[in-house]
Amino acid sequence: MDKKKLQIALYWGAACGGCDVSVLDTNEFILDIAAACDIHMWPIAHDGKYKDIEALEDGFLDLAMYNGAVRNSENEHIAHLLRKKSKVMVAYGSCAHIGGIPGLANTFTREEIFESAYLKNPSIQEGNKTVPQPQTEVDGGELTIPAFYKRVYKLDDVVDVDYYIPGCPPAPEQCKAVLSLIVSGQPLPPKGSVVGASERALCEDCQRKKDEKMIKQFFRPWQIIQDPEKCLLEQGIVCAGSATRSGCGVRCPDSNMPCRGCYGPMPNVVDQGAKIISSVSSIIDSQDPEEIDKILSGIHDITGYAYRFGMAGSLLQRSVR
Amino acid sequence: MTTECKIGVYVCSCGTNIGKMVDCDAVTGYTKNLPGVAVCKSYKYMCSNPGQEMIVKDIQRYGLDRVVVAACSPRMHEPTFRAAISHGGLNPYYLEMANIREQCSWVHDDHQQATDKAKALTCAAVKRVPFHEPFDMQSVPMNSASLVIGGGVAGLTAALELADANQPVYLVEKDGKLGGNLARIDLTSPYLDSAKDLLAERICRVTKNPKITVMLNSEVESISGYVGNFKAQIKSNGEAVTDIEIGSIIVCTGFREFDASKVGEYGYGRFPNVVTSFDLEKMLKEGRVVMKDGKTPKYVTIINCVGSRSGKYNRYCSRVCCMTALKYANGIKSAAPDAFITNLYTDMNAFGKGCEDFYRRSAERDTIFMMFDKHAPPTVSAAGKGEHFNMLVKVNEILSGEEVEIPADMVVLMVGMEAREDSMNVARLVNISRDKDGWFIESHPKLDPVATSTDGVFIAGACASPKDIPDTVAQARATTARILAKICQGEIWVEPVYAEINEDLCSGCRVCNELCPYSAIDYDPVKKRSAIISVMCKSCGGCVAGCPSGAIKARHFTDKQIFEQIEGVLEWASSRA
Ligand SMILES: Cc1cc2nc3c(=O)[nH]c(=O)nc-3n(C[C@H](O)[C@H](O)[C@H](O)COP(=O)(O)OP(=O)(O)OC[C@H]3O[C@@H](n4cnc5c(N)ncnc54)[C@H](O)[C@@H]3O)c2cc1C
Ligand code: SF4
Ligand code: SF4
Ligand code: SF4
Ligand code: SF4
Ligand code: SF4
Ligand code: SF4
Repeated sequence: MDKKKLQIALYWGAACGGCDVSVLDTNEFILDIAAACDIHMWPIAHDGKYKDIEALEDGFLDLAMYNGAVRNSENEHIAHLLRKKSKVMVAYGSCAHIGGIPGLANTFTREEIFESAYLKNPSIQEGNKTVPQPQTEVDGGELTIPAFYKRVYKLDDVVDVDYYIPGCPPAPEQCKAVLSLIVSGQPLPPKGSVVGASERALCEDCQRKKDEKMIKQFFRPWQIIQDPEKCLLEQGIVCAGSATRSGCGVRCPDSNMPCRGCYGPMPNVVDQGAKIISSVSSIIDSQDPEEIDKILSGIHDITGYAYRFGMAGSLLQRSVR
Repeated sequence: MTTECKIGVYVCSCGTNIGKMVDCDAVTGYTKNLPGVAVCKSYKYMCSNPGQEMIVKDIQRYGLDRVVVAACSPRMHEPTFRAAISHGGLNPYYLEMANIREQCSWVHDDHQQATDKAKALTCAAVKRVPFHEPFDMQSVPMNSASLVIGGGVAGLTAALELADANQPVYLVEKDGKLGGNLARIDLTSPYLDSAKDLLAERICRVTKNPKITVMLNSEVESISGYVGNFKAQIKSNGEAVTDIEIGSIIVCTGFREFDASKVGEYGYGRFPNVVTSFDLEKMLKEGRVVMKDGKTPKYVTIINCVGSRSGKYNRYCSRVCCMTALKYANGIKSAAPDAFITNLYTDMNAFGKGCEDFYRRSAERDTIFMMFDKHAPPTVSAAGKGEHFNMLVKVNEILSGEEVEIPADMVVLMVGMEAREDSMNVARLVNISRDKDGWFIESHPKLDPVATSTDGVFIAGACASPKDIPDTVAQARATTARILAKICQGEIWVEPVYAEINEDLCSGCRVCNELCPYSAIDYDPVKKRSAIISVMCKSCGGCVAGCPSGAIKARHFTDKQIFEQIEGVLEWASSRA
């Protein structure tokens, strides 16, 4: 182990794996990282064990990048472990940053989730009564599995986080830029910064033509033939670009799909979903309550649209039924 | 920040208004221990001179840098206390009021709960006030020229008043002549003086006055700018466009009459001798009241409230028709002395000066008054063959309880007043609101009846609601008093509390562009940013909530201040636990 090299670890909590892949997606740059760093753990590419990390001195790691949300006790345990062992802790990707897709589960209670996952699901054998328990007595002892929490947390709900790299997953170029900066040894931005993203919303970089927005009808992307030059929101397609940090390279609108908001809220914004809802309600072209209801009925699952990535980090946080 | 502030808190009992329901000493006792509070006192009337002086002295004695007054609604006394702390040497915006009257004592009947809520609101104010920022009033120059839209009696009066004070006026009238609806009227109630005389003098003075530019056959195309500094485009004769710059706008676009043919049972349009009040005015002006066949009518029935006070048409009272009907009874009597006149009314509204006397005098001459239920209006039908009159009016007379049939040669329908068909466009043009009936809405129905929600735009006359001539003229003159006062000041002071866009955060998404009810938001296509014209902003907060980027900040209502306020309420709640 070359102590001059950067000591790093990557980890996935409640994650889909996409974030780990996005690091691989930096292509040959990955070789530069390998040359510049000692990688102690990286689930998708490197076989590091928890005990290896536990064995390190506190603060030994220069950098830990945690992707995924915190869904269960194991996620939280490793988050604490990595925090203890590293100088800089980065929340990598939407799930770690603001809760991400797993955070949408907060619109249901744990009981509801268990019911639909283990008890009342067409793919479950009828009459099944088994749901996972943290502890189970079996012949020869007790088995334990991580405890499933009541809600999903974002990373900084459980540990102190130094930087956030947003995106579902972060754009490989941004990942590359941030890693290069760290490897270069240049001074880092102030603690708490969102890095690898702009201070302005996606609309700034989106090349579609923007006009005054007056909406009479909302559509899902497949319901209309869109004008490729014109702002999607103006065409009645709910685009979260105006409420979302730029940084991804306008991935979705450039592929004729609306932005879903994965780069998270703007710097001054407390609740991205609330902002998406108020931007949508700001552009409805009617004063008549009945017509407004009708126009709004074109949006299916407003919670899903507005809080696709930000539910766990929102003011709402979770369902308390 | 909180601990660095020295906050003075003043709890008012408002005589017994607050004190009878809220235990003000308990509020003081709780508040004085909150962090940052340097002094906390209660007093009987904080808004009185001694109350204000107490604050001024304390600012100096304790070196206060923030003040909280727990008293009535800020709508009531915020200006008072802002002035007081300013007198004490603090920026007026370092004040926060906790409303423990309208929101506590007046709406609760449980002492304990009202007192608890007063504590919570006061704690919220104490938490918020350290985050207040100082602001200075801003001023903009005042253009002394005015635009008057509509050349009826309201517009003529306003134009003259301003011109007589030596100020330039543009009078824009869409018709080919001045006078409006008054030019269609013969004598005026209640003193029966001639409308023509009233008008001729004004029109003559208006057209001769070098300060007044009269633009006939003209309409306003567009208006931009803000109080003191408007620009307007006037289109004349359908083409020629004139650009003008003005500081104030008076809207005097008046009313139109209700379309009587909508009321089928009165037969307007079906029976030739069913006429409207304006048809009759025309006859009276010509000096002869005759039927279609040229004969003088023997039986005339006047029906009031046509299209007014009705569940089916307009619900409101048109205010002038009762007295106008009496005027007709008089006029018809003069033109056809042998005529029998019946006046069918729902209620006799004779509230104006001289009107009750006018009613009494008319009742003494031989007009027969019959009252009907506005939900069961009379009907008009053709008379049977061989009758010596041509129509039959049937009415359920409610005072006698009898169904009465009245012969009629002529039926006069007292058509009500309605908002003009283009009032929506006018409202959009000058950026004011209309009520459900289409009348323009005043800034405050009692205390500010001629101003509107847009600074520098005023309304006068029948465009705001049905009105008689005296009220119309009074309003027209009131608007000019408001304008002349501003012209005298030479500049306009505008509240420094407005919303502003942080250019560094704006992405130019344009979500806010159509959102402002006061058209205060502009988009700069070169910079690709939106900006707020601060003097036009009323700080309603709409765009602040709407901006998805959080790029718009409302001065004096920042997220931070509001969250602190919420924290304050929660802090009080946890202090109880
Ligand atoms: C039948 C009848 C009889 C009445 N008799 C009496 C009476 O005896 N005594 C009494 O006190 N009151 C009477 N009134 C009420 C009286 O007519 C009104 O109080 C008065 O006319 C209101 O004046 P105004 O200037 O507000 O409106 P208007 O007289 O309606 O004048 C408005 C003017 O604005 C112009 N205008 C409208 N829109 C535009 C536009 N977009 N651009 C430019 N110009 C525009 C119109 O052409 C018109 O010239 C009577 C009303 C009626 C209906
Ligand atoms: S942020 Fe997106 S890509 Fe990354 S783990 Fe979460 S869901 Fe997967
Ligand atoms: S709302 Fe969406 S489509 Fe419209 S400009 Fe913004 S990012 Fe582009
Ligand atoms: S366009 Fe929006 S949803 Fe798509 S990648 Fe970019 S930030 Fe994420
Ligand atoms: S003024 Fe008299 S006639 Fe006119 S609407 Fe009112 S009550 Fe009816
Ligand atoms: S809504 Fe906000 S970001 Fe969009 S144009 Fe307006 S100020 Fe700029
Ligand atoms: S705060 Fe209200 S009045 Fe001011 S610019 Fe925004 S929307 Fe307009």
